[in-house]
Amino acid sequence: MKKILIVDDAMTVRMYHRQLMESMGFEVTEAENGIEALEKGMSDTFDLFLVDVNMPKMDGYRFVEEMRQIPELQSIPVVMVSTEEEESDKEKAYLAGANFYLVKPAKPDELKDYVALLIGDEVA
Amino acid sequence: MALVKQKKSVSSSTEKRDETRDFDGLIHEMKSGNSVAKRWAVRDLADYPEKAVAPILNLIDQETDLIVRDAMLDTLEKIGGDKVVEGLIPYLRSEDVPLRNAVIDALQSSPDAIAKHILALLNDQDSDVRIFAIDILQMLPHVDTPIWLLSVLKDETHINVVANAVDRLSEVGTPDMVSELLALKIRFPDEAYLHFAIDNAIKRIKGE
Repeated sequence: MKKILIVDDAMTVRMYHRQLMESMGFEVTEAENGIEALEKGMSDTFDLFLVDVNMPKMDGYRFVEEMRQIPELQSIPVVMVSTEEEESDKEKAYLAGANFYLVKPAKPDELKDYVALLIGDEVA
Repeated sequence: MALVKQKKSVSSSTEKRDETRDFDGLIHEMKSGNSVAKRWAVRDLADYPEKAVAPILNLIDQETDLIVRDAMLDTLEKIGGDKVVEGLIPYLRSEDVPLRNAVIDALQSSPDAIAKHILALLNDQDSDVRIFAIDILQMLPHVDTPIWLLSVLKDETHINVVANAVDRLSEVGTPDMVSELLALKIRFPDEAYLHFAIDNAIKRIKGE
């Protein structure tokens, strides 16, 4: 079973994204910020990171920049999901190394489609 | 979004204070010292609450050393009050995410001073600023927090601002607010995440 790490400081968002990802047949782990995500990323194997931007301790941009420098993590696909909707925010995400950027609240089908595009769908 | 500040200590038995410890000496060191000297200078500027606020605020977004910047925010938090809050609020519009998060955290430490600005921030033209205003409310120990959040439920049209308010109300809301939460489902009929957040908030408010 493929594993997804959901990185978001908002518990409700983590619960919502967990529900969506589990409905696709994925196993889900959660982290509340970039530092916790790097720790969990290094101690387990993941197939995709689903990452918020605004988080304490280490924000999403910084997390993606950091993980792209770590050999064990650098090839894992990243979907960033943020309330920030400016083009400049999307550019920052792609420059940091994100594969896709979605504006919150992501439509369930849209989020699932992007994830499936990157790593397939376990229940398809 | 929960913002918990990572405190960084500047104390070290080996760190020295080289510059004269009067106000002008500390300002000079804050502007031109090495990282350690800057941190000490910024920390010691807390002894000059009347004069130190403006020079620190002027430098805070130019400081590239994050540890020095955290020390600046620590000093501003320690001083607190209206001048600090009024000086920090503009940084809610910063594109620098770590600075913005640190400012949100610092603003929460002056509850009486920031309370005077909450309504204006909740009605700001920029939806991001309105979201950050709700983030400030997350840890703000103020009696009016539920009332402010309720006003967002009634009047706000931006989905992410509303969703953030619903999330906060799940922590501080009371059972009499459930009807306002349910009304949002009618006002935003096609927003799956919001409906999920509303259901979750109602469960938490009812203690289920």
